Amino acid sequence: MSSRNYRPWNIVVFLMLLTFAVPARAQKESDLPSTADRLLHGESAAQHDESPTPAPEIEPAIPEGMTLEEVFDFAESPPPSDFPEPLSDDKRYAFMLFEQLEYRVATDDETADHLGWEAQGWIGGDFNKFWWKNEGEAVFDGPDEWEMETDLLYSRLITPFWDFQVGVQYANDWRKDDYEDRWSGMIALQGLAPYNFELDNSLYISEDGDVTVAIEAEYDLRITQRLVLQPRVGMGFAFQDIPERSLGGGMTDVTLDMRMRYEIKREFAPYFGLRSQFLVGETGNIAEAGGEDSEKLFFLAGFRFAF
Amino acid sequence: MKDDIMYSKTKTLSRRQFLFTTGLVFTGMLLPPFRPIWAAQPAAKSTGEFGELNATDPGGIDLYLEHKDLLIGGKPGRAIAINGSIPGPVIRMQEGKEALIRVHNRLDESSSIHWHGILLPFNMDGVPGISFPGIPAGETFTYRYPIRQNGTYWYHSHTGLQEQLGHYGQLIVEPAEADPVGYDVEHSIVLSDWTFENPHSVLRKLKTMEGYYNFQRPTLANIDDQMKATGMSLSEVLGKRLAWDRMRMDPTDIADITGATYTYLMNGKAAHENPTFIAKPGQRVRLRIVNASTMTFYDVRIPGLPMTVVQADGQNIKPVETDEFRIGVAETYDVIVTLPDSRAYTLFAETMDRSGYARGTLAPRQGMPAELPEQRRRPMLTMADMGMMMHGEMEDMDGEGHEGMNQVMPSHASGDGQLPTTNLIGRIKHGPDQHGPASITMAQTAYRRLDYPGAGLGDDGWRVLTYSQLRVLEEPPDRRPPTRQFDLHLTGNMHKYIWGFDGKKWSQSDMIRFQYGERLRINMINDTMMSHPIHLHGMWMDLYAGAEHYGDNPRKHTVNVQPSELLTVDISADAPGQWAFHCHLLYHMEAGMFRTVAVVRSLEGGLINVKS
Repeated sequence: MSSRNYRPWNIVVFLMLLTFAVPARAQKESDLPSTADRLLHGESAAQHDESPTPAPEIEPAIPEGMTLEEVFDFAESPPPSDFPEPLSDDKRYAFMLFEQLEYRVATDDETADHLGWEAQGWIGGDFNKFWWKNEGEAVFDGPDEWEMETDLLYSRLITPFWDFQVGVQYANDWRKDDYEDRWSGMIALQGLAPYNFELDNSLYISEDGDVTVAIEAEYDLRITQRLVLQPRVGMGFAFQDIPERSLGGGMTDVTLDMRMRYEIKREFAPYFGLRSQFLVGETGNIAEAGGEDSEKLFFLAGFRFAF
Repeated sequence: MKDDIMYSKTKTLSRRQFLFTTGLVFTGMLLPPFRPIWAAQPAAKSTGEFGELNATDPGGIDLYLEHKDLLIGGKPGRAIAINGSIPGPVIRMQEGKEALIRVHNRLDESSSIHWHGILLPFNMDGVPGISFPGIPAGETFTYRYPIRQNGTYWYHSHTGLQEQLGHYGQLIVEPAEADPVGYDVEHSIVLSDWTFENPHSVLRKLKTMEGYYNFQRPTLANIDDQMKATGMSLSEVLGKRLAWDRMRMDPTDIADITGATYTYLMNGKAAHENPTFIAKPGQRVRLRIVNASTMTFYDVRIPGLPMTVVQADGQNIKPVETDEFRIGVAETYDVIVTLPDSRAYTLFAETMDRSGYARGTLAPRQGMPAELPEQRRRPMLTMADMGMMMHGEMEDMDGEGHEGMNQVMPSHASGDGQLPTTNLIGRIKHGPDQHGPASITMAQTAYRRLDYPGAGLGDDGWRVLTYSQLRVLEEPPDRRPPTRQFDLHLTGNMHKYIWGFDGKKWSQSDMIRFQYGERLRINMINDTMMSHPIHLHGMWMDLYAGAEHYGDNPRKHTVNVQPSELLTVDISADAPGQWAFHCHLLYHMEAGMFRTVAVVRSLEGGLINVKS
């Protein structure tokens, strides 16, 4: 990068100027007529007062064997039932994205290395979809231990960039001789925030009435057309102490990830990265009291893929 | 006028080519239908070897649609061929006669042919679901209609995404009277785009992964390049990028589908195959150029050779000399060029997003390659594409629009009130966005951009054609001032790849009704940041190109509406029946940017459902 004139505060000043410039422009444009006061085709047709139409100067092209009146009858009806639709704009699509499928190597001796994944997918049309999300981790070092959360959601596009989702979460974990699970009702708001941040915010109410919130945000910083650095932050909150889940009320955890991927294809990108995980507040105290570290650092390597 | 010897030579050759083609078709029929690829290899023919047929000759013509393995740019691909080739044969017709075309569908799926720009009875228009049920697999449909116009047009499938697979060709209607365009020799130039992917999987990628084919995005690595190209400082570049990021928009989103998957074709030939068009020095050469692409806008020029544009969308215009023009998808331009010497010249068709090009050579004989011009940088969208302008520009616009502003507003509802025909309103601000989740309204204001050659054009030091230069050669009939008008917003959600009008896809819409005999004005307002070539079937659109005399404005079948543009067309609703009206970007159309237009007896009848 060149050293020419680079001053971060320039950006701040620019943004401030932009903020001032916008209202000034808006004032000027308020004199312009607005599209809101103009007619769309339905309104125009409804307001059209029926005056006799002059016969067109050009003799109309009419199908052989049909009269003009018959053509009008045809034109004023929905298409005959043997006609296919001229296009299929309400087709259903299905999509699946494994954002993370990675091996996490712990930097401390107490934490086990493990396989982690985070996937989501949907099937549906432009506005209404069935959306699922699944994330979990599995430890193969010693006796197998698995932990997984599965969201099953109805998703509706409520604004151009945001889906509102409602459904259930099934969380389960199992190890030798032990299986625990929990159902929760949930709502989520998933979409793209200004400045191109991908956000996924969820609120859960478990079958025991415990309320938790999860917020995830990520950003794709393109270094080249195929090399992408993705910072990501995840935060958890609990609205009460949940001793059986070792959670204290308030903010429970913060996860900071950084992944560098190379898009061999848009659908397939190997990556490596770092994760630092913090258990905070009361939750952190609970962990430390149990002899566990409240801060952990992992090296990551894996694949991001879609189909 | 025409060089007869030249002309008949072409004809003989093409007849022989046609026999050869038909021969191939029949040989193909004798072979088992599902042969392995390797078996097809030795016989695989290259694209671009197409013949010529005359559809108004006694007895008419036959077109055969079939899946065929062809070499596209030298690589084998499975195409939909018409009479064995991509593009299909050039179809000629004689104005004043009747065209007779039997279309034999030898595909394993339904198909159709739409005659783009030809005015005909609605049941001959070839849009499945609107004009007819389509041509089922294995069946034959006979098109028969009188030809009441002349000029350069084209034809293509209107079924699904078949057009992407090569289902198109050029159509030329010879005038009944002497052609006002004098020329010695003519060449058909069919520009198109080809992908070896399944078009449905292309659409799925667009629907599920935004920017899938864009490999020219802003990155850290190209900040320096942007600074050099624009002369902006680092903080200015970063500020611009942040502003776009804040809007969740990508200023490099110029084309949805790019050279990352497309092979760009001229007459079915890839750039390296370099098709040659023979022209002797001093000859008046007519190039009939049609953009038969599904998604690609081309910027066409012949370095070192000025072009005189004589026809646009099949309509003769007052000749305009220029050096370059942008041809929207589905548009046609006829140009006259004359070689001053015995050198070879490159016919260069660069894609709007600069991710590739099609090219050919104009030369006195075969085998004379010309120098290939350097490709230009890809353009980026600017604030002007959102209807935000610098101060000076805005005052200009305000000045232009004032007269019209006062006339336009109150007169819309009065039946006898004639709308203004000159100095139309220049700029409108966008009201609150009420188009719903299917629309991201980027345009703050919509304004006339008739003088704007388009993103990435106009700064090269040579002339570029704009719509404001188009004037009809002879005033066509029915130039009454319109008596009714409405706005049509071009809307889309590029993030989710939903496209439509007024925030609705076709399947969510009612038919747009025109009253038979009325003169109607449609003000198209492009709320999106992409250019959309809007095509009306069955009737002309008289494009408001700013002519002082209303009658001089050009007639078009397809109008390219640029980002944030306010573009007005006037229509004589003289074609009873139902018609298609849509964006001619194939994947936008398939995503819902489509309406059924019903030309009805009276508007009293009420709404008509688009679905049966």
